[in-house]
Amino acid sequence: MIEIRNLTKFYGHNAAVKNVSFNVNDNEILGFLGPNGAGKSSTMNIITGYLPSTSGTVLINGVDIAENPAAAKKQIGYLPEIPPVYQDMKVKEYLKFAAGIKGIKKRDRNAQVEDVMQKLQIKDMEKRLIRNLSKGYKQRVGFAQALLGNPPILILDEPTVGLDPAQVIEVRNLITSLKKDHTIILSSHILQEIQAICDKVVIISHGEIRAIDTIKNLEDSMGEGIVLHLTADGPREAVSYLIENTSGVLKIEDITYVKSNCYTYHIKIDNEDVKKELMSSLIKNDFEISDVSSSKPSLEEVFVRLTSKPAAKKSLNELLEEMDNNPDFNEEER
Amino acid sequence: MFSLYKKELQSYYYSPFAYVIAALFLVLFSFEFINGISNMEGTMYKFSFPNIFHNNFFFFIFLIPALTMRTFADERKTGTEVLLMTSPLNVFQIVIAKFLAVSTVFLMMITLTLFFPLITLAAGEVVWSSLICGYLGFFLWGLVCIAVGMLMSSFTDSPIIAAILGEGAVILLIFIDNFKDSALFDNLPKAAKVIGWFSTQSRFVSFSQGIFKLSDLVFFITATVLFLGWNIISIEKRRWSRG
Repeated sequence: MIEIRNLTKFYGHNAAVKNVSFNVNDNEILGFLGPNGAGKSSTMNIITGYLPSTSGTVLINGVDIAENPAAAKKQIGYLPEIPPVYQDMKVKEYLKFAAGIKGIKKRDRNAQVEDVMQKLQIKDMEKRLIRNLSKGYKQRVGFAQALLGNPPILILDEPTVGLDPAQVIEVRNLITSLKKDHTIILSSHILQEIQAICDKVVIISHGEIRAIDTIKNLEDSMGEGIVLHLTADGPREAVSYLIENTSGVLKIEDITYVKSNCYTYHIKIDNEDVKKELMSSLIKNDFEISDVSSSKPSLEEVFVRLTSKPAAKKSLNELLEEMDNNPDFNEEER
Repeated sequence: MFSLYKKELQSYYYSPFAYVIAALFLVLFSFEFINGISNMEGTMYKFSFPNIFHNNFFFFIFLIPALTMRTFADERKTGTEVLLMTSPLNVFQIVIAKFLAVSTVFLMMITLTLFFPLITLAAGEVVWSSLICGYLGFFLWGLVCIAVGMLMSSFTDSPIIAAILGEGAVILLIFIDNFKDSALFDNLPKAAKVIGWFSTQSRFVSFSQGIFKLSDLVFFITATVLFLGWNIISIEKRRWSRG
């Protein structure tokens, strides 16, 4: 169980992470999504104790990472964005060293190292210099390092970057199988990946959390607008007048030209029932419908919508209020 | 902690790096040795190891920073610092492990120079007191340089800059005496005295003459501890302010 409360991180005057709070339950995979520079890596670095936070707490199974770092760090396996491997070491030698600094007892080290090499399928590379490995293998060596000591919590910063498609699937399967006895936080740019393996998603942008939910709920909540793509014959004005006056239609987003006297209408509607009503009213008025389809916003669109929202306040009043409440603002004002 | 020490020590011997430095050191030492022999005159046929030590004292300006430049700068550059910092080791243990590893390499280096007194012993006589004190002073001075070099390495993520900073710092430590004697301090005897407290050269000279003073021993050890402490603070500070 990871509890993150009001985490804030300033780099000088720039806030990289602003008041972030969320929990990750045991045996859960949490996906951490956000555009570049959103504060994903900063947050992960703070959770693992690499960087201290400006304010806020991180509890790893109830242990505060800032107050009792040694005990908390023992429970975490971390794969940073750049795998922390020594170029001049051999794979097995490196893993043995990592096991050593993680405080794994000498007699258990060999078995542990063999075990993680098996899991990541790097056994046949054990005698190779890390310098000579491809990016994908380096990534896997870094991942193997994170699994050493079987820590209950795994923090993986973009674990599948640089892997080929077959390896990506292997690693995804591995992560899913690790779920049984690990709590995992995983960051990624790849939405399908998050969709495929995560139970819960945190979307972060400009250092702020935009959404925390299951993927299904996210899509549904954003699905207020099911978009209906309807191609109908008939004069444009008449058809759009009819559509707009059907109850449940939110708005016509766009009209595209198909051929003379035939247009495709992209209509945002409340729910699927509206579709039926709309079609019957069109037919009643002798407009021929040649094609109809509907689409729900995918996680991709949800993501874009949530992260592209400007961080700026909506109105001047809100901005003024914010300035009153925020001591940093006041400081700069003076 | 032992794992880190072992890895650090091994890392010096993965590349020809430590060998090159040790070889360079031995070459310089042997030049001084030959110099000592060829300058022998009079009826006594004496040459002094203390003199050799004293001349070698200056070679540390570039030898030691070359050994220490990678300690922290390289870890940061390659991103392996994360591994150390997110392991259950604390900064104190990391610094000590690295310090011990470099010290061991350095110890191996000066152990190789025992070859020269052995030759001398085979062909003549050795004054043991001055030899042992010389080696002790040499080792202690090396430790101070290592601590300084590591500190400089913790300031930057480029090994080259770390080496240059280290060289500058060691030069400053060696020639602090010369500042004291400069005309600038003629009218400021008190300031000159204070600077004199930090003089490393004069303390080394007494070691190399075979005079063992507890105050000198304490000075070198204090300086080492001080720089290592600063090293720990510098790394912690970087954690807080890095972007």
